[in-house]
Amino acid sequence: MLSQTVINRLKEILGEKNVVTDQVGLFAYGYDATLLAGQALGIVFPQTTEQVVEVVKYMNEQNIKLIPRGAGTNLSGGTIPTENSVIVGFGRMTKIHEIDTENFVAVVEPGTVNFDLQLELGKKGFYYPPDPASYKASTMGGNLGECSGGPRCFKYGVTRDYILGLEVVLPNGQVIETGGRDFLSESGYDLTRLIVGSEGTLGFITKIMVRVLPKPVTTRTMLAIYNTIEEASLTVAAIVSAGIVPTTLELMDNLLINTSEDACHAGLPRDAGALLIIEIDGEPEDMDQQVQVIDEITKKAGARDFKVATTAAEVDQLWLARRVAIGSVARVKPSYSLQDITVPRSTFPAAVTEVLKIAKDFNLLIGILAHAGDGNFHPLVIFDQRDEDEVKRVHAAELEICKMALGLGGTITGEHGIGLLKKKYLDLQFKPVEVDAFKKIKDTFDPKNLFNPGKILNI
Amino acid sequence: MSNVNISNLKGIVGDANVVDTSSEMAKFLKGQGQPAVVVLPGNTSEVSEIVKLANEQNVKLAVGGTVVDTEGLTGGIAMVMSRMNKMIELDHANLVAVVEPGLLHKDFLLNVAEVGLNFPPEPYEVETSSIGGCFAIGDADSKSFEYGPTRTFLLGFEMVLPTGEIMEIGNKCIKNVAGYDFIHLTVGGQGTFGIFTKLIVKLLPAPEAKLAVLGTFSSLRKANDVFHTLIQQNVLPTRMNLLNAALVPKAIPGTEGQLVLIDLQGYKASGTNFAQKVASLLSVGGATNVKIIEDEAEYNQVIDGWLNVRSELNAKPDSVLEFTIGAMKMPQALAQLEVLLGGLENYPGVVVEGLLGHVLLALPEGTNKRALAVDVNKLAMSFGGNVRGLLGNNLKSEVYNDAEMWNQTIGLIQGLRQKFDPKGILNPGVSLQA
Repeated sequence: MLSQTVINRLKEILGEKNVVTDQVGLFAYGYDATLLAGQALGIVFPQTTEQVVEVVKYMNEQNIKLIPRGAGTNLSGGTIPTENSVIVGFGRMTKIHEIDTENFVAVVEPGTVNFDLQLELGKKGFYYPPDPASYKASTMGGNLGECSGGPRCFKYGVTRDYILGLEVVLPNGQVIETGGRDFLSESGYDLTRLIVGSEGTLGFITKIMVRVLPKPVTTRTMLAIYNTIEEASLTVAAIVSAGIVPTTLELMDNLLINTSEDACHAGLPRDAGALLIIEIDGEPEDMDQQVQVIDEITKKAGARDFKVATTAAEVDQLWLARRVAIGSVARVKPSYSLQDITVPRSTFPAAVTEVLKIAKDFNLLIGILAHAGDGNFHPLVIFDQRDEDEVKRVHAAELEICKMALGLGGTITGEHGIGLLKKKYLDLQFKPVEVDAFKKIKDTFDPKNLFNPGKILNI
Repeated sequence: MSNVNISNLKGIVGDANVVDTSSEMAKFLKGQGQPAVVVLPGNTSEVSEIVKLANEQNVKLAVGGTVVDTEGLTGGIAMVMSRMNKMIELDHANLVAVVEPGLLHKDFLLNVAEVGLNFPPEPYEVETSSIGGCFAIGDADSKSFEYGPTRTFLLGFEMVLPTGEIMEIGNKCIKNVAGYDFIHLTVGGQGTFGIFTKLIVKLLPAPEAKLAVLGTFSSLRKANDVFHTLIQQNVLPTRMNLLNAALVPKAIPGTEGQLVLIDLQGYKASGTNFAQKVASLLSVGGATNVKIIEDEAEYNQVIDGWLNVRSELNAKPDSVLEFTIGAMKMPQALAQLEVLLGGLENYPGVVVEGLLGHVLLALPEGTNKRALAVDVNKLAMSFGGNVRGLLGNNLKSEVYNDAEMWNQTIGLIQGLRQKFDPKGILNPGVSLQA
């Protein structure tokens, strides 16, 4: 519990309504999109950088740790309160300071919801490419913390590729600016890249300069339907080998096609083994030749059907079916565990086979959803949290999926982060020399382990 | 001075790969420093052994691809990576190359092109740059608007740390967020975090077509106005560069005036249409000798000309000043720059990378760079930009009178360096002060 003195001081800094210490509040901010939970001593909502600084300095004096939080949609346990901590909620720092499309830059506060930025940019014909599935709710600060991805990454890259500069409050309460409004302003070391993806363990981001792009002139959305998931998986590398870089290449298996159909009736074929949603963008005069090549490749890989969406409504239907896929499994069983591994694209068929085998070995229902172009798999393990034996098998399967990814030359997390959830697997991917390098980084920024303790690493 | 145990070094790499006579050493060295010995390791474990030896004997060690900058060496070891120049793997299905650091950047480009792939970053110095150096410098170049800066092409590496330990990090996946992003932190670190011994490099499919459009202008600002129009009309080429008259003959001998070079990489159909549009806008803007180049050999010649200019400027960083502002703010910025410097057409060198809002000035001999940088930085800041890199950050904090922020930043940077290299052995010439 926070003492009344501490609560009063926090209210002095932030205002009465920006300090929450009641039980309901503590519960509401104690969980995220994982099954993990914890309880903080309190939650504070700064609205300015100066307030963040004040809070950090004061908490330093009190030796209370701080947990950053945006919308809490993360899938890593990154915002779960640990130790003796207060949550710093950035959800009230939502200003879009500046949109300068002429110079391809936007400046936002960390609580800005990704979607809200997209809306503002859209008015000027621009967009910010990273689009995690949670983008309607998740904040820019959170996206940066985890270095989020999304379906468009294959062509456009991940969050780190769009961050030009930052304002950061360090664990000692000092403020630094990293980078700038372009690629060339970084000072000596690329501290911007280091902060992005550091899950709030090195500094709290209070201002973000992002790169924005004009919306593509044309987009073509295609659907390829396969009898087996193996055939679908063979298509992926073939498209890339043909020199085409689609914006997205999304794969859904039979299980998810059906749960998604139950939920939104998009008209997907329920008997298909798998489907691929393929999207390309660019100049109108370049589209037809690419569509034709993709058509030929999918047929050669054994696709039973290939369609090009001809209306905006058709495109929306397809994306709706894709976006509801995760939530729709709730009709089958109440809980799911969304895995997040990446494997080299060429090993994609092998990874599919392995996931199917793991499902069988552990007697679990596992749906396969993948950003197939970049080898990023989201096996969706569907289970009932109340069934203790099943929960045990889920954890065992998770471990096997991580090992499988590493065995194929991949990673245990492609876009969700390590947080608390995957910390126990970190040593599978890294030897002591690499973990030691991570510790040196943490120690340089946060020698007192004040920011988001217990995430990524055990200090 | 000869504080290095040369017989130990010979034991590690063999007699033939240790050079310790000053006449022989000279061809591997540049700068004012005086290393005791040049060593050419052949594999990762040799690199590690050498670094461990340097630690034991507490001598400094500087690394280079083909040539080592000896700055900061009085005695000590100059390590040349040129023997570690193998292309280990060209993986077409994953669009990845695994390569040793000593492979020349220009040879890497050839290898990659042979299999129909593309590595966009430009060589820092055409003839001598190595692929390890490419990532150690971590530059952005005029194609970065389309393809991203150099760092986006590094997926992982094997590295010998300043303690001699061998680290392996990253893989062939473009999505990988496990642990801190040490991978990209090292890009631009100038070899202070460790010595690359193997790099996992992201590649792209080669574009279907490459076209260039050239035009010359009598006025530099008029030439830049065309860039303004192109961006306004949402024509965003792969490269959009402007060279002033002093530099043009070095790019394309015999050409006079201010040269606009537009590079269009992509599909043939749209590329051809864009080229027409660019050519007509150049003509409307007052260009003479407007020319669309479709022929591959001629295209390559033009690009090579640009790369030579770039190399030459990169070779003398002390007499080059760079700043960046918003791309569309360039017309006003150039007008003010002209007030500061006089006519830009006759200045020793002006390059505008139009898409990046980046200006590179080759300074007249005898210029006090720091003094000019203060003025140029003020100018750039009034357009939301700054002088490039650490110097720009330093000048910015001076303008804000914010020594505290500067001290924090520099403290973090030096803190990181010190944690990884506690004895201060590696690349002592790299200064992280401004």
